[in-house]
Amino acid sequence: MGTEPGAGSWKPEVSEPLTPQSDPDATRRSVAAGADIAGLVRRYGSFGALVLLVVYNVVFTPNFLSLGTLNANLTQVATIVIVAVGMTFVIATGGVDLSVGSLMAIAAVLAPMFLVDGEQFGAPAIGLMLAIIAPILATTLFGAFNGALVTIGGLQPIIATLVLFLAGRGFAQVIVNGELQEFRNFGSPMVPNFLFIGLGEIAGIRPQVIVMVVIVLIAAWVLRATTFGRYVLATGGNASAARLAGVPVNQVKFAVYCISGFLAGIAGLIVIAINRSSDPSSVGELMELNAIAAVVVGGTPLTGGQATILGTFIGALIIQLLRFSLIAHNIPDGITRIVIAGAIVAAVLAQRQRTS
Amino acid sequence: MIDRKVNRRSVLRLTAAGAGVVVASRYGVGAVFAQVPPLEEKDTYTIGFAQTGLNNPWRLAESKSMQDEAARLGYTLVETNANEDTAKQIADVASLIAQGVDILIFPPRESQALAPSVVQAKEAGIPVILIDRDVDHEIAKPGEDYVTFIGSDFVDQGRRAAEWLVEATGGEAKIIQLEGTTGADPAIDRKQGFEDYLAGTFKGTPTPAGAHSGMEIIASQTGSFTRDQGRSVMQTLLQSNPDVTAVYAHNDEMAVGAIAALEEAGRTPGEDVIVVSIDGENAALDAILDGTLGASVESSPFFGPIAFETMAKYIAGEDIPDWVLVEDRFFDESNAGEFQGKQF
Repeated sequence: MGTEPGAGSWKPEVSEPLTPQSDPDATRRSVAAGADIAGLVRRYGSFGALVLLVVYNVVFTPNFLSLGTLNANLTQVATIVIVAVGMTFVIATGGVDLSVGSLMAIAAVLAPMFLVDGEQFGAPAIGLMLAIIAPILATTLFGAFNGALVTIGGLQPIIATLVLFLAGRGFAQVIVNGELQEFRNFGSPMVPNFLFIGLGEIAGIRPQVIVMVVIVLIAAWVLRATTFGRYVLATGGNASAARLAGVPVNQVKFAVYCISGFLAGIAGLIVIAINRSSDPSSVGELMELNAIAAVVVGGTPLTGGQATILGTFIGALIIQLLRFSLIAHNIPDGITRIVIAGAIVAAVLAQRQRTS
Repeated sequence: MIDRKVNRRSVLRLTAAGAGVVVASRYGVGAVFAQVPPLEEKDTYTIGFAQTGLNNPWRLAESKSMQDEAARLGYTLVETNANEDTAKQIADVASLIAQGVDILIFPPRESQALAPSVVQAKEAGIPVILIDRDVDHEIAKPGEDYVTFIGSDFVDQGRRAAEWLVEATGGEAKIIQLEGTTGADPAIDRKQGFEDYLAGTFKGTPTPAGAHSGMEIIASQTGSFTRDQGRSVMQTLLQSNPDVTAVYAHNDEMAVGAIAALEEAGRTPGEDVIVVSIDGENAALDAILDGTLGASVESSPFFGPIAFETMAKYIAGEDIPDWVLVEDRFFDESNAGEFQGKQF
């Protein structure tokens, strides 16, 4: 992505709650201020909340400390984390991507088309490869469409991505006439191989959990240690200043929507593999809001310029564990929703304290 | 306001072009109908069928049943698909009325929201038969605003599931209940029928109090009628309630999801955890033959024959009850093989 910007005057603020050393300036500031409680909340708030939730469950939820519980939570949270990672990049540039759930649905209806029978593409293995590559390529292109609307079209991200939020699901429904597809009705001998994504095991761990961890690690590295990562934060911090400093702002914005579309495609494939069926109406439903919630609870402000991938991961785990705890204690659905909403409000309020 | 005018005008234009009779009944004779508009005998009929959505096997089977029966009788079926969007179904029904179909047969997605549509059809001189879901009787009454409601008794489905489970578990069970979508009629009714039977307060056939005291519901959570939610909610409940010995799911999709969660957790559904559900879809019959699902109470989607039969009776002027009850079958290991692949 080009060279380091010439003027070294700006320094993007990377807030990683797990490694406060990553931002020496902030550390100095908080040392100077002494025991700065707001600073502590800012650094360790979401991580502390996660620890509290775990402790609560260890004490009050029967059989919480078990491999089964760990597996259940990680498999359930995987798709939200994957989508939320892409959302973190978009939000870091000051944008938002409402289309992710619809893009998941598009990936979900495209994949089964390549598994209808084994011979349609010569060999079953080619069908399997296409079933994985084509949907992800398609959602990445739709992401590029979002990016083009934002950069070339100059639309506000919320409006630009609203287009595919609405039209994307409609497109998915039209492709299959709104009908649910069941994998057991497909003839390709590669169907079990495809379902492995969601139902298989590698050393006792579900593939989607491994995919999630790999994506989180790569994304955290990209955001923290690469030029592109710094460009993303600079773009979100102050786009005009970044442009003057030589950051290719439009290319960066375009790229983050592509990343978001790419990751939404992966998540869509995981969902249909877990369920052995593809439903254009329900795959990815409300995912955009779950992903934004994870990003916000994790400590990435919606204003852009700051971002933390590990925070997003922790944010998703907090919401997941909260839901897990409430269901495990048989709390009615309505109350569960209210509690989760409360957690999001608390996270946003904690963020407000930081800026004031 | 402007929108409304445009709509009304376009509706007028369409009806005028389609059938003068309809316009007449709308603006002249309409008020005369205290009863459901009659349907005269003809060689063929155009039936408006406004489906709520086609996103699950049950709805697909319902639509196919309607199509097959219409084709067999040589009638024209005009179909719409609301994609589970109530506002779209209201618009779909309005459009079918405007097209001047002979009769409307459809499942209202929401009992209150679609009731005015039923009244509109009546005002336009089009009789309505509702299938599988009813409308609010405060707004539209069967036998007065529409011909009848054809559907299953969801409360009784819950009772039949409970009755089977009591027998299968010998009256001793710790049950997890996977409820349908919060607020949906089938979810409310299936929960009521099941719980009332176990509590001994089921209407009509009460059992002595305490007769089923060994049947304990240890957790009850919504799985929103979907396989995905059924699986993840069961996964979670299993961790906190490992002593569970039975699962009652309000539909087969959630039961299939729950069975996957049980197997994942190293349990043996069918042996250490008995599962019962409602719907009778193919996936459930497969599971019964695998031994993982104990039984499934049918909630028949095959409305085609009974809907058109009811329509024929209406044309012939026969008396039709306010609720035409659909006879649901019961599937367990004794008959699952016979119906395998023939359901939906």
